Amino acid sequence: MPGETFTQLVDDHYVPLYRFALSLTKSPSDSCDLTQQTFFIWAKKGAQLRDESKAKSWLFTTLYREFLRIRRRAEHLTSLEDLAPADSDPPAPEVDVVAGMDAGLAVAALQEVDEIYRVPLTLFYLQEHSYKEIAEALEVPIGTVMSRLSRGKAQLRAALARADAGTRGTVVPFNQQKTRKTS
Amino acid sequence: MNNDQAKFILHAYRPDGADASDATFEAALAQARQDPALGAWLERLQAFDRAMAQKLGQVVPPAGLREAILTGGQVSTPTRRTVWWQPVWLAAAAAIAITAVTVLSLRPARVEAATLAAFAAGDAVQRHPPGEGEVWSDFQGVLAAPTTRFGGALPVDFEALRTKGCRTIDFQGREVLEICFKRDGNWFHCYIARRVDFPGATALAAPAIVAQGAVHLATWADDTHLFAVVSKAGREALERMI
Repeated sequence: MPGETFTQLVDDHYVPLYRFALSLTKSPSDSCDLTQQTFFIWAKKGAQLRDESKAKSWLFTTLYREFLRIRRRAEHLTSLEDLAPADSDPPAPEVDVVAGMDAGLAVAALQEVDEIYRVPLTLFYLQEHSYKEIAEALEVPIGTVMSRLSRGKAQLRAALARADAGTRGTVVPFNQQKTRKTS
Repeated sequence: MNNDQAKFILHAYRPDGADASDATFEAALAQARQDPALGAWLERLQAFDRAMAQKLGQVVPPAGLREAILTGGQVSTPTRRTVWWQPVWLAAAAAIAITAVTVLSLRPARVEAATLAAFAAGDAVQRHPPGEGEVWSDFQGVLAAPTTRFGGALPVDFEALRTKGCRTIDFQGREVLEICFKRDGNWFHCYIARRVDFPGATALAAPAIVAQGAVHLATWADDTHLFAVVSKAGREALERMI
């Protein structure tokens, strides 16, 4: 494909793709590799895509497939699918707590969410994909996407609550506190 | 539709309002407007989703990733993660290098640096004899020294290396030096070409690291030379040398 088109494609999508990869791999360097790998595959095969409006979906789908290929966790994903529905409204940290939280901490909480829910949830929070596009990218029914978003948010809230509690320190019963020496 | 069903659907409603025209959400949104409890729930959900989207939007990719992708895209060879030492992979690597060179040689001159990188990636995974002689050995020592940092000029005497024992490869009628060296227990292959031999090359002064199948490459240039360091030791191993 012409160099200018490729550059434009990279400029349009490499940042959200990296964020998506970071959510999947939990590792900045693996995310770089996965993002690069996705564009390598585009450079090799993507030009065959006739409908250029599908490029974004193609890139995200390809990145996800590459991740799955590397991880080979299909059996684990299947077993997670069978879990009972999550509590729809678990205890949630206040929104202003999340808003005031360090971005790294919030993303770390997102990375704690089970992979099967984390993937659609990350695409949702990137805000570049509708639930229909997420379903298309992950090749699952629309209802499944909605279900995974609902459960994923429940897990995310719980992870954020834990992270928030962690930043405020561990609660130690009064009678176990050690006397601090002051000079 | 009861409130639980509405909540189920509204979890997929993006906080930036991009789905406002989607008919799927119409009934659930209408119910949220009529039911104060559901309305308050939706308001909290949207605020929460907006906050999370904002946090994710604050993640910034590492510096150099864009340049690495662009460089790698120009290479555009198949990237397979097959174990590199398997005979099939060795054959494939050679085929990849040949294919890349063949395809990319038809492109304008400005992609020549990427072509060289593709060539280096293909060559590095093949067995070849090391160089020999004092000049080669001294320069190998420079590359292996923990204090040597890549990304700038290196003390390269191309002519001396070429004529006194360094492995020299013919690449499209142009000479490329290859020096293998070891650092932190890992093997690396440094490829050096003269810029005058690649007049259209657009290699960056700052190193760009790209993944290429089973290997990673760091590529950069100074005023007189183009460099590519190839290793299967991984990205971090290359990053430590920059």
